[in-house]
Amino acid sequence: MSIKSVFDSGYLKLLRSCAKIEFLTDMGCSMEWIEKIGRSIGKAGKSFGGTLAFSGKVLARMLRRKTYSSATREVLVNQIYFTSVQILPAFLLVSILFSSLLVGIVFQVLKDFGLTEFFGHVLMGLIVTELSPIFAVLLITLRSASAINVEMAVMKSNRELKTLETFRIDLMNYLVVPRIINGMVSMVLLSSLFAIVLMASGVLFSGLIFDMSVDVYRNILLNSTSFSDIFIALVKCAIFGFFITLIPIRFGLRATSELTSVPVVVSGGMVNVFLAVLIIEVLSLLTKLL
Amino acid sequence: MPVSRDFKVGLFIVCTAAILFLSLAYLAVGKGFFENVHTFTLSSKSGDGFTEGMPVVFSGFNIGKVHALELNEKGVVLIKIKIPQRHIQWIKSDSEFILYRPLIGSARIVVNSENLASPTLDENMIPEVMLINDINDAIARIEPVLERIIQIAENVEQLTRVLSDPKGDFNRTLANAEKITANLAGKKSLLEMAVSDEASVKSVHEALKKMQDITVRLDDLLKKTDEQLYHQEGTLPQVNAILKDLLGKLQRLDKTIDNINQISTDTSEGMKDFRFLRSDIDDVVNAIDGVVKKIDGIVGSKKDLEFKVP
Repeated sequence: MSIKSVFDSGYLKLLRSCAKIEFLTDMGCSMEWIEKIGRSIGKAGKSFGGTLAFSGKVLARMLRRKTYSSATREVLVNQIYFTSVQILPAFLLVSILFSSLLVGIVFQVLKDFGLTEFFGHVLMGLIVTELSPIFAVLLITLRSASAINVEMAVMKSNRELKTLETFRIDLMNYLVVPRIINGMVSMVLLSSLFAIVLMASGVLFSGLIFDMSVDVYRNILLNSTSFSDIFIALVKCAIFGFFITLIPIRFGLRATSELTSVPVVVSGGMVNVFLAVLIIEVLSLLTKLL
Repeated sequence: MPVSRDFKVGLFIVCTAAILFLSLAYLAVGKGFFENVHTFTLSSKSGDGFTEGMPVVFSGFNIGKVHALELNEKGVVLIKIKIPQRHIQWIKSDSEFILYRPLIGSARIVVNSENLASPTLDENMIPEVMLINDINDAIARIEPVLERIIQIAENVEQLTRVLSDPKGDFNRTLANAEKITANLAGKKSLLEMAVSDEASVKSVHEALKKMQDITVRLDDLLKKTDEQLYHQEGTLPQVNAILKDLLGKLQRLDKTIDNINQISTDTSEGMKDFRFLRSDIDDVVNAIDGVVKKIDGIVGSKKDLEFKVP
């Protein structure tokens, strides 16, 4: 056997070994990747289950009369003040501007497409019952939910919650329930206010764009309004309010004693709030369809 | 006066809740939530197109809705419509109920009441619903168009079949075209391709050269002719001068001819009198002849040389 043939066979064996190693490494990588997906799904499921369990606890507390002590009521009033009353002038101004713009554009588009007869359904079915809650959700999430998330995370990091517990103050009654009730009340009221402002600006734009009298506008609105849709919209607002405050509280309570954990739980909380809003919106649309 | 936070919150909740409640109450009143509702029953041979909650429309306004659909023991579909008290005036005993199914938009029951003075429809009466179906109308209109489209598709299919047939006309034409182009690519000139003979091409070339010589000579000839004809002292200027002279002479001749004409006319006029003159002359000659004869008679019969003239 010549040296060249020995060298060639050795080289071939080396190539085969390399190919085997590469295959095994690839297999290992894909296995790891699948494990990662499984882990993520498990984690998300656990988190979802945890959120539902937490929601159950909060609901149970909300239904208890004992929960509403003077301290809880005071916190509730403060929360409603900061979330709704303080923001009311700005909210009304933005509502007037945004609703006028929105109604004007939608009416003009309907006129351009020759769909004038559907304008009542579009106004009630799309703008009032769908967009009003979304507008209020955006406002409350950006302004209050993020604040609640940070507040809870910082309180946890600073061991304030431990201190409250040491003084035998029920955290659920004192911190969680008032904030969640505030979320629900504020969402329902602000969303209703926005819808009313929107319908009022509809009077103006229906006159300007469709040359429609107030009586005709009123008749069209009455004909296209369905109480079931309004009921679903109000319930949806309440559910939005519940979850957009509950999720930030839950994520805020996950913070550790290190301050670096605060931004992590806040970003996680806000992403989950966004997902919750999407899920509730889809579920409400499904409810409407069914 | 400073206002407490509790008051502000309370005011906000009370005012907003009141606005919400009033809006809902207004909607409820407007929709006739607290109003008496009359139920009428309509019939149809088919329940196709009817749905619960379908609007009942009069002159473009919703005046009620379909409450329930039932199938009776005779197989007739009963449609129960609910009309609020304030719209009961539009439902008359002779009203027509039409199921209108537009092409776009939701179906509805349209009420046509021609005579508003007629009595209100009895709730026990069951009028039949007529059908107007935009979709079927559209289908009926589209059907001939579809048939034509199918025909066109068949033609297109036939065309493609013919085109794709390797022994078909198109492919044969293509093969011929290919042959021609190949032939064209192999030849030096189009002429060679046309006559397919190099000798002929040469003879054509020679003929063309001769033609060229002829044309050169012809050109010279034409130049000379041109010079002879159109030069200052050429034929044409001279002819022109002769013609001009001739024209002048002719103009003068015209006058002479006119004069001759005049003379001939006058002569002709004079000639007309010739006949009378001749007859006069004839008469005179005859008279003279008579006189002569008489004289001759006298002279001849008498011996006397003298005679008396009259």
